[in-house]
Amino acid sequence: MPPKSTPAVAEPTSAVQTLWKAYNEQTSDRLKFIDAFLVVLMLSGIVQFSYCVLVTTFPYNAFLSGFSSTVGQFVLTASLRSQVNPENKNEFKEVSPERAFADFVVGSIVLHFFVFNFLG
Amino acid sequence: MLLNSLLLLAATAQASVLTLHAPRVTIYDSNGEGIRTEVLKLVEKPKIPLAVGLTDSLKLVFQIIEEGDTSGKGVQPLQTFLRFYDPETGEEGIQPLRVTPAGKSKFELNMAKPPLSIPPTTSTPLQVTLIIGAHKHTPLKIELFDLVLPESHPVAQHPDEASFHLLPAIHHTFRAPQKVPPRPISALFAALTLSPWAVLIALWIRSQVFPSVPHLFSPSILPFTASLGAFELLLFWYWVDLKLGQVLLYGGVLGVVTIFTGKTALASIGARRVARK
Repeated sequence: MPPKSTPAVAEPTSAVQTLWKAYNEQTSDRLKFIDAFLVVLMLSGIVQFSYCVLVTTFPYNAFLSGFSSTVGQFVLTASLRSQVNPENKNEFKEVSPERAFADFVVGSIVLHFFVFNFLG
Repeated sequence: MLLNSLLLLAATAQASVLTLHAPRVTIYDSNGEGIRTEVLKLVEKPKIPLAVGLTDSLKLVFQIIEEGDTSGKGVQPLQTFLRFYDPETGEEGIQPLRVTPAGKSKFELNMAKPPLSIPPTTSTPLQVTLIIGAHKHTPLKIELFDLVLPESHPVAQHPDEASFHLLPAIHHTFRAPQKVPPRPISALFAALTLSPWAVLIALWIRSQVFPSVPHLFSPSILPFTASLGAFELLLFWYWVDLKLGQVLLYGGVLGVVTIFTGKTALASIGARRVARK
């Protein structure tokens, strides 16, 4: 379904509302499922970063590993999302959703290994 | 035991005693003229110590003979030494002497070129002892005389001497321990850091986007999820206890298992997806 056209002079709030509505209507549940995880990773990263800025950086290696785990997991999940999105089927002709998930799993295991290695 | 004692007694009885014939010591000045001559008596030292100046020299001559032998035939012992001993400092020097087959020996001390065997000297006279060792005779040790030599120069200070003293004890200064934030703040932020997971659950459940997983416990899927869980447990174990080599070994084994389970699981999912189309 094509996005609904909006007036050119629309209010910013109505633009956001339209975007939200279009997202809700046009995005499959599976992608929303992944998007929820992406939002959570973002929130977790924001909380950790604000703790580092507002309270203390000690222990610094724990902060670095925690923050980099959220960033790395975000990147891996975002690539999974782009590869399993039916809209991008033409761009990833050779990559089946199962293959994308396998890549995501391998990448996550390697990332978690480095994160636990650095956690201290 | 008794035989041994008898043999030892016989050997001691047979061993003859050595003595010196005409032991004489002379001190010469720088012109070679004799200043003082002493005929040594062996039973007692000269009462006045012999003094040798910086430019003087000393000559000691003697012949080693068997006691009671008047034929003039000398004895060449195995070892003959002069010992110079300073009772004050405990320093001593040993000078080996050469003895002719006729038992004659001489020792010359030239203060212009003193031998290395002379110990460092103080104002205390050196005790000069003659020590003779021979295998057929009982050993002989004779206090010859006391000898006053010019005092040695004080030992020059080694250039590194200042370095060889106890250094002041090292006091390590450690960095002050890191400040830990108050507990309530730590607890608040721990809760905040964990809260996104609650958000995740809420998002998944309230917006009803949680996909249905009818095959989660099927024999083709369950081993894969179990091996993924095992990987996370292994990494947690690594954080808590394991060493790097161990985690790489276990991870390698688990990786092989996961490859097979993953291939099975994803192949079955793929087959279902293709069949749905």
